[in-house]
Amino acid sequence: MELEKYQKIFSQESSRYLEELDSVLLKVENDLRDQQLWGEIHGKIHSVKGMARALSMMELANFCHAMETWCKLFQDGDKTPDERVVQLFFDGTDLLKAFVAGKGEISEPRDLESLRSISEDLAKDPEALADQAEPEMRTSVAPGKIDRIRVDYALIESLLARSQEIMMLEKSLPPLTQDQISAGIGSWINHYISMLKGLYFQLAQLRLMPVQDFGDLFVKTIRDLAKSYNRDVKLEVVGGEIEVDIGLMDRLREPFMHLLRNAIAHGIEPPDEREKAGKDREGKIVLNAERHGDQLILTVQDDGRGLDREAISAYLEEKMGMSPEEMNSLSNEKLLNIICRPDFSSAKETTQLAGRGIGMNVIAQAIEYLGGTMKIHSEPSRGTRFVISLPLSLSIIYAVLFRLGKYVLAIPTSHVHTIENMGSEPSREISQFCDLGSLLRVDDETRGNGHIIRLRPSVTSGISQSEDEGLGISADAIIGNMPLMAIPLGELLAKTGLFAGVGIMENGDISLILDVEKLQAAAA
Amino acid sequence: MDIFIFEAAGHYFGIEARYIYRIADGVVIVPVPLMPGCYEGLIYYRGDLFDVVDMGRLMENEVSTLHDDPYIILLKWNAGKLGLIPDRVVGMKWVEDNGGTGTVFNERGDVVKLMTPDEIWSKLAGLAYGT
Repeated sequence: MELEKYQKIFSQESSRYLEELDSVLLKVENDLRDQQLWGEIHGKIHSVKGMARALSMMELANFCHAMETWCKLFQDGDKTPDERVVQLFFDGTDLLKAFVAGKGEISEPRDLESLRSISEDLAKDPEALADQAEPEMRTSVAPGKIDRIRVDYALIESLLARSQEIMMLEKSLPPLTQDQISAGIGSWINHYISMLKGLYFQLAQLRLMPVQDFGDLFVKTIRDLAKSYNRDVKLEVVGGEIEVDIGLMDRLREPFMHLLRNAIAHGIEPPDEREKAGKDREGKIVLNAERHGDQLILTVQDDGRGLDREAISAYLEEKMGMSPEEMNSLSNEKLLNIICRPDFSSAKETTQLAGRGIGMNVIAQAIEYLGGTMKIHSEPSRGTRFVISLPLSLSIIYAVLFRLGKYVLAIPTSHVHTIENMGSEPSREISQFCDLGSLLRVDDETRGNGHIIRLRPSVTSGISQSEDEGLGISADAIIGNMPLMAIPLGELLAKTGLFAGVGIMENGDISLILDVEKLQAAAA
Repeated sequence: MDIFIFEAAGHYFGIEARYIYRIADGVVIVPVPLMPGCYEGLIYYRGDLFDVVDMGRLMENEVSTLHDDPYIILLKWNAGKLGLIPDRVVGMKWVEDNGGTGTVFNERGDVVKLMTPDEIWSKLAGLAYGT
């Protein structure tokens, strides 16, 4: 069953790459020496090869490898391709399509002959192709069955919003009279609503993408980065079949890029150094995806030298005035989290810290913005692991809703530590308090007695804050903890500088989602 | 072109009819803090969020005679969405196309100021927001 699932993913993804390959070949036909286009062709064939290898389709993988060898020669400018070469690549692409359709195997005599002939050509020097007699043109084949279309992501979002709104109409359904119930209208409405819910959840499937696709986006980047730092690095994706909201994946592109760059530049050692340390010459970065309830757990792990603890200690001493005893009392997690501090990069310059400073604060902020958390694990000479937990969907978030004067406000539940009655003794001292009523200029006459919502300390604040030091904010009345459909802020609301989005409740009511980072900044 | 005419704070305004998405009523407007005085709040209507403003206060800086359950003129153009609250909806009128802006007159000789959604939006965006 698992194999079937992987084969389906392989078939879908490879077909997409091969369709794109045709387009790039058409472009390169007009500019044979364009090394960037040859790099693009190389990347697509490489992606197909990677997936074929993972499924032990070795004949297909070997054929891709032979094509890649030629790509590299043109990409590096070592050889000059001509029209015959491009034609050979078109023929090779057709053969790859036959391989994909046959789940890694070909049996048609025409395809077998083509495999033999193209493989023989690919084993030669590309420039020797010009000396050969013109090959017989392969018969043009009609494009395959059209079974997929490209749809703008915005259209899917719009369809989802509309279907959700229709579902919300259920809440405004007036009570039915006895006559209407006996006429079967009630059961008809229930059936109608259940059909609508089915439609909504099927629509929601449209905006999912497999994690493998996300990993494949970086294959070429990793190759380029590794080359520029003189490293041998490969990316391995585990759990690539897990499908994730495309919006979430898109917002993870930049943070993931930073993690990869750090891993290659500072984590993974040069091949000779790795060999001396008894490691494979080729370093490995593993992107592992798992689903735990409504959380996506993404782990990015490298097998490099690990974080430089001495440099972190030096930073703690120089920048935070910590004694060795105080440092020893810090948990491993808190010690490593120091690399997420905003001023860590500048500390790197003064302490010659060899690793991981650049961009970590940006990564931590991006993950926190997405309602997620990040944990760092590192062992000297064994590597570093970043464990990122994120909500699976961006559009539905859980939030604590509360009233303040005439306003209905929300804070993502992941940011809330405790809620306490204003009158009762606080369970802990509040070191930072934000009078939200004054901040939002709420009329005192509309205020109630209220509560204090204590927020969790910010991930980006680093180790200086303990659980006791989270910001406390005032609320008149707590409405509850509930799911919200989160909608981005418009231009006008964004100007207030305090909101992260607008939340739509199940009954269609609106609330304003507070931006916790900005609240903390305002309180400070 | 067809223009949609309404009255706000004792003045007449016209907007080209193609920008009118709906005339909504019975919709709860949710107040938003830290917004200018003319900003009445937000509504979620058929899958879209609309900023809603009191047209009289925005254009003339005069307190209009808002009803408890006002009509809201919903505009949609390019990527923009905006709800306008008038004192009174007058109706539709056909006039020669003059490029979308300027002044026209209705049958009774009242001055109607013709505006585009972009003009209204830029006036709104130019106000002071936040703390």
